[in-house]
This record gives sequence, C-alpha cells and structure tokens, in this order.
Amino acid sequence: MKHLAKVKNKIGQYILVIFVTLTINFALPRLAPGDPLLYFFGETTINELTAEQKQEALHSLGLGGSLWEQYWTYLKGVFTLDFGTSIKYGVAVTEVLAERIPWTLLLVGTALILSLVIGVSAGAYSAWNRGKKRDLTILTGMLTLESIPGFWIGMMFLSIFAVQLGWFPTFGAVSMVQDGTTWGYIKDVVSHAILPVLTITLATVGSNYLLTRSSMLESLGQDYMTVAEAKGIKKRALVFKHALRNALLPIYTHFTLSVGTLLGGAVVIETVYSYPGIGRLLYESVTARDFPMLQGVFLLVTMGVILANLIADLTYPLFDPRVRNRKEEKGEEITHA
Amino acid sequence: MFKKVLGLISLAVLMIIAGCSSSESSSEGKASSENKNNVEVEELRIGVPSDVGPLNIYTGNMDWLTDLVYDKLFSPSPYVDEPQPWLAESAEQLDDTTWHVKIRSGIKWHDGEDFTAEDVKFTYEYYRDGPPNRHTHHVSEVPKVDTIEILEDGETLEFKCAYACPSMATITFADLPILPKHIWENVENPRKHTDLAIGTGPFKLTAYEPDQYYQFEANTDYFMGAPTVNKLSMPIIKDSTAMFNALTSGEIDTTTRTVPAELQETLQKTDSMKLASTSPLSIVQFGLNYEMKPFNSEEFRQAISLGIDRESIVSTVLLGQGRAGEKGYPHPDSPWTNPELSTPFNIEEANNMLDDLGYEDSNHDGYRETPEGKELKLDISVSSAEPLYIRTAEMLQTQMKEIGIQFEVKTMDPATYTAAVSEDDFESYVSLIGPHGVADPDQFIMSHRSSYLWTKDLPYPEMDELVSNWMNATTIEERKAISFDMQTLYNEQPTAIALYYPEEIYAYNADVYDQYVESLGFGIINKFSFLPEEAREVSSTTPVQLVE
Repeated sequence: MKHLAKVKNKIGQYILVIFVTLTINFALPRLAPGDPLLYFFGETTINELTAEQKQEALHSLGLGGSLWEQYWTYLKGVFTLDFGTSIKYGVAVTEVLAERIPWTLLLVGTALILSLVIGVSAGAYSAWNRGKKRDLTILTGMLTLESIPGFWIGMMFLSIFAVQLGWFPTFGAVSMVQDGTTWGYIKDVVSHAILPVLTITLATVGSNYLLTRSSMLESLGQDYMTVAEAKGIKKRALVFKHALRNALLPIYTHFTLSVGTLLGGAVVIETVYSYPGIGRLLYESVTARDFPMLQGVFLLVTMGVILANLIADLTYPLFDPRVRNRKEEKGEEITHA
Repeated sequence: MFKKVLGLISLAVLMIIAGCSSSESSSEGKASSENKNNVEVEELRIGVPSDVGPLNIYTGNMDWLTDLVYDKLFSPSPYVDEPQPWLAESAEQLDDTTWHVKIRSGIKWHDGEDFTAEDVKFTYEYYRDGPPNRHTHHVSEVPKVDTIEILEDGETLEFKCAYACPSMATITFADLPILPKHIWENVENPRKHTDLAIGTGPFKLTAYEPDQYYQFEANTDYFMGAPTVNKLSMPIIKDSTAMFNALTSGEIDTTTRTVPAELQETLQKTDSMKLASTSPLSIVQFGLNYEMKPFNSEEFRQAISLGIDRESIVSTVLLGQGRAGEKGYPHPDSPWTNPELSTPFNIEEANNMLDDLGYEDSNHDGYRETPEGKELKLDISVSSAEPLYIRTAEMLQTQMKEIGIQFEVKTMDPATYTAAVSEDDFESYVSLIGPHGVADPDQFIMSHRSSYLWTKDLPYPEMDELVSNWMNATTIEERKAISFDMQTLYNEQPTAIALYYPEEIYAYNADVYDQYVESLGFGIINKFSFLPEEAREVSSTTPVQLVE
C-alpha cells in the first residue's frame, strides 16, 4: 500500500516536470532569433521580399497568430497527440518522427548494448586483475578511447574502411537501389549501420568501463569478499555474484540515463554518416527553424529522459534490496514519529 | 573466461565486417561496367548538398534541379545574350507593350495530360496574383503584365504590359517555369503542397525522401529529344567531407558541391576523375546598412570600397580559387553588365576621403572617431555556416584598420543571421548573392526597390531618374545603355560591395559519364548536360573547361 502511495507521489512530481518541460520546449525555439523563411526562400530571394510578403508567408505557414494562440494550439496538440505539421517537410510531425525513430533505435540502441556489454566485462576483468599488465593495457586503451571525440573516430573509420578499403558505404541508412529481397535489404541495412554503431560504441565504451572498474574495485575491497573467498567460493561466482552484483548500482543508473538520451539520437555521428536519425532531424529542424518539428523532437527527447528516470526511480528498490530496506526503515521511523 | 567473451565479440564483429565487404564489392562492379564511349547511360549518381523539398518552387529553390522537371517558354536562362524559344515555338513583339507567343503543340505533362496555352496563361497569372516566390516579380512588377489572352487559334497568347516591356523574351520568358494548370488550380496553400513536382521537363521526379535522396527517370518523349541518361539518383549529403568520401569511394559519380581548394590535387590524381572549372555567376559581397550612419553617406561607402584589397582576400581565403571583385557589381560575366566598371583599391584616396568627411583619430588609438568625436565601432554580421565568409570578414576587419575604421566580426547561426539582415538589424554583412541577383538586369531594378540595394521610399534622385528613363525606354539596346549608367552610378557609392567572384570546381567520374556542358550560371550539372546535341546547341551551352 505504502509503495503504491509513493508511486503516486512520484508520478505527481513527474507530471509537474512534464508541464514545465512542455512550456520550455515551446518557448526556447521561439526565443532564438530567426524564423523559417530562410529555408523557404534561400538567401538570395529573402532579400528581395517586402515586409508584407514575409508576413504573408509566415501566416501561410501557420506562424501568423499571437504567441498565446500558438501556445494554446500546441498544448492542445500534445494531449491529442497532434503536434501539427512540420514546416519544412510539410507532413505531420508524428509521421516524420515515426520514420526516423527506428533508425535511431537501431543505431544508438545497438551501440548502447554493445558498449554496456563490452564496457562492463572489460571493467570487471580489469578490476579483477588490478595492477597487472593486462589491466594497465586495457585501462590505457580505454582512457585513450574516452578522450577521442566521436566524430573523429567516425571520420577515420570512413576514410579507412569506407573510402580506402571500400568495405562499407560512406553515407545513408540504406542504398537507393535495392535488389528486392528481404535478405538483401537486411544486409544493406547492416552494412550501413556497422560503422556508425562501432563509432558510437567506441565513443561510449570508455565511461562504462571506467565506471565498472572503479565500482568493482570498491566492492572487491569489501570484507564480504574476503569472507566469500575464505569460504572457498569459485572465482567465477566471486566475480559475478559477489563483486559485480554489488557494483552494478551505479552502472545501472548510468545505463538508464543513457537509455533516456537514446531517443535524442546521436547528432554528431548521424551527421558524419549522413544517417537519417532523430539527431540529424533535430539539427535540420534547428537550422530551418521548423518550430512544430522542434517541439516534437524535444518532447520525444525529454519524455525519454523523464521516463527513463521514472523507471530508474521505481526499479531501484527491486534491483537493490539495500535501497528498499533503507527506505522502508526510514518510512517507518517517520510514521512512528 | 573473460578472454573468451572478448574474443567472441571481436570474432563476431570481424565476421560481420567480412560478410558485408564481399556484398559491397560485387554491387560496385555492376555500376562501373556500364558504358564507355556510349552516350546512353543507365544511371548517374549525383550527390547534392542540400534538400529543397519535392521541387515545389514555393517552398524550396535550386534552379538547376527545378529545371530538370520544368521547362520555360525560352531557354536556358536570362543570363545569356539571346535565350531561344523552348516551350514557345516563337515570340514576337507587336508594339512596345504587346507580345505574341505561340506555344509548341504535342507536348505532354509527366502525368500524360496535354500541355496547352491555358497552362501558360494560368502560370503567369498565378505568379502575378498569387503568393510571392523568387520568380513572381518578373510579371508583377518589372515588367508588369496587365492582361494575358489566348487568341483564337488556341496556341498563341497575347501579353499586354503596363509599360514598355522589350525584355519579355530575353528575361521573363526565360526565367519562369511553367506549371500544370490541372494540378496547381487545386492547390490550396502552395507553401504546404508536398506532392512530387509534375512538369514537362526531360526528367520525371519519381521519388523524394526528405534529407535522403531524389530519384528521376528520363522523360523519353521529351520534345527536344530523349535524355542521354536514363536515371538520375541524387543522394542528399550535407557534410562536405562525407560528400567527397562518397565520390572517392565511387558511391556517387559527381556532385554539385564545389571541390574545396585543398582537395583538388588529391582528386585530380584519382584515375577516371576529371575536374571542371565554372563561373557560378555569383558575388561574395560586403553589404552595408545604407540607412544608418555612417553608411548613409555615399562618400563614406566609397571610401570603404577604396580601402578593400580584394586581391589579397582571394589569394588568402580562397587560395586563388576565384577572381577579385575589381570589376564591381553586378557580375562581369553577365552580358548585361557594363564591361567598363571598376572598383579600384586605393588606401591613400580612401584616407583622404575619410579625412574630408571629418572622421579623424583624435585620441590616437589607431581608429577614427565620428565627426562629433564619438567612438566609431561597426559590426560585420556573418553566418556561422560559412567559414569562408567568416575568414573574409576577418580580413576585412584587418584591412579596414588600415584606413582607421574599426570593425568587429559578429558570427551567428544561419537563421539568426538571415533574420538580422532581413529585419534591417545589422550594420554590415558578408554573404553570397547568386545569378538571379547579379546577372538579371530586371532584378537590379527590383533590388533597388526591395531594400536589398536600396529602399523604395528613400530618396536617391540620380538613380530614380535613371530608373524612370529605363522604364520609358522601349528597346533592349536603350535599356542596356541606361543599365550600364545605373551600374556605374551604383559602383561609385555601392551599398553592397563586390569582394570576389567565386569559381566553382566540379569533380566527376569520366568513366561513368563524360558528356557534360556548362550552362552559364548553372555549372556543369544542368539539364542540357543530359540532352542530345541539338538541344545543347540552341541553349548557348559551352564545352566543359577542364582544370589542368
């Protein structure tokens, strides 16, 4: 019962956060100077238009009303899942989003999992072998990776594997010409995705690794490890059951937060690989000042982060009995008082 | 155990890499085995750097792309001496304000409907009365078309202008794409129209995926002959590095993005790659806000122009790839530009003029103060998306120091920049102006009305007199002579100073296709490059100039 009340309370807080976010999402793009006319007319033509012509154009794009009117339409839209029509693409914002989300999920999702698996296993391995040569080798490698910017890795990969060796395509998510078979399509998608996925993985694996390693080192130093070792528990069980499980909490937090940013795509990497994901969409919409589209993308991203936080909040206790017990104890103390 | 896990992961990655590499190489072989010495090419892949939507001229603009799908009454453009009849069979000027145009018969729209005189009448009226786009002022203002009637034969149109319109055929007819009436009369809001463009042109737009690609198929029934290329595939690649990666790896055969100076040598060494140099008929300009002090003084503007060392901008910023703007504004390659124009570099004279105007450095900080003794500090606004213009602005800042004028470069994101310039919220700027602005003589008049080079309501007696003479002139020759005078006047007190005339370098894989021609102002990727010999001849195209 008590748990349920807490959940309700949490949800209430989140609703407030969402409302504030919605308002900021509306206001921010409009606070920036500039309007979508540049996209429509190009630099040359825009100089030739009179002020009335510009007003007329803005009006025909649905940006004519007062800010309050636009805000009201936007809020209504959010609750009916109608985010309006993208100015640049001329179709419903939801339609554009639906087209882009799968690509971003494929790219960033795969990379996130790869990065987690590799980072955690390497981190655990390193911590277990702390101070040995293999630990230092991995540590140096990971630190190097962590300090290289992702776009640079991307550009190097492109120049080596796509241009020099010709193993992979240099741009896009699929080829313009398909052979028509499902298998061919899958191969095509995979070959387009490999380099960007590897790039994002390499750019993010370092933080997973370092976090796991330090967290593992901490739990390896605990008394219960000595006890467990003294009990003669096998090495594998020691690492996984005793050390890693205890070290997982910060890693879990880190992971859920990155799941939240998942929907934001990877702006830079998607640009380097000309990949049609959410990140690139966001960038394009900012340059075109496509307000409805921007609202849609921002909403998606913020919802992703809020949802991931909510899930993390709610699942901590299930995940780590210590959190659950502590909270319950505290709760009882308060009620007693 | 961990070693095993890591080993397995790397093995898996390697296997995927190997699997994909084999499939890639086989598909590439297919593309390059196509034609040699044979005019017919199945597919040509052209990388384009920006997305202009489904070729609706009310929402995006890229003239060479629009031209693939649409035709104009005359061809190729207003930028050549004498455009020739295209959708029109002939045109005749009856008196100062009347034109008769006979259209070709038997032409069909891409959707199979007949092209008729009704379409032409509809298009011109739509441009005149409907929402503005970059073409509309050619019927609504300069020149101003009053009535358009279809004569009894059903194939001849009569245009009547409000005042003399000798250049209808050479400019208006050569600039306005003809739209299909049966589609556009039902379009409610042209700015929200997203259907694929339907035209009469040599290529049908068959697919468009926003931010990803365009696909075109040849219109084999084209009235000027079937195109030499069957299919044009155009991936949209915005990043410059990505674009040239794709070109080098053979994923595209050419691109409309100009080759950066530092890449030229590498590309030239690549087998099968040819580089062509073209004049894009554009000017990189230093725009001054002539409505505010001190730029509202014509002598001050002249002094600024005298103080600019255009040659050193070209050699430093462009590494020589371009021409210094010493022949002023508009573009010297346009047949409509006075060949005698000159905008010299003379620091001494600039300094004298500023002294005479009372701008003196009274506090000896190296910069002049205003005649009232106040500090003078001016901004140069420039878009962050244009690194070359930023560097140009920085050089201007240094050069202006030589004549004691303090400038500061203000970089802002593209949309902010455009808003600032179009809302008159700037002091000066560096930007590019394209062919329509600097090679079209009617546009020069328009630019003096629209606030770009001057504003309608601001007094400018000398120019006003020339403009009224121009409006009264009834022949092209007379008008050209008056235009030349206007240009001379303009360059003596420019409001947008020509800095340099950029040069564009195209790179293309000559093994795949080598039949390009240059169309002035459009580079080598233009519709005539994909049309048979006869069509190229009537369109004043020139052979490609290879970079040695």
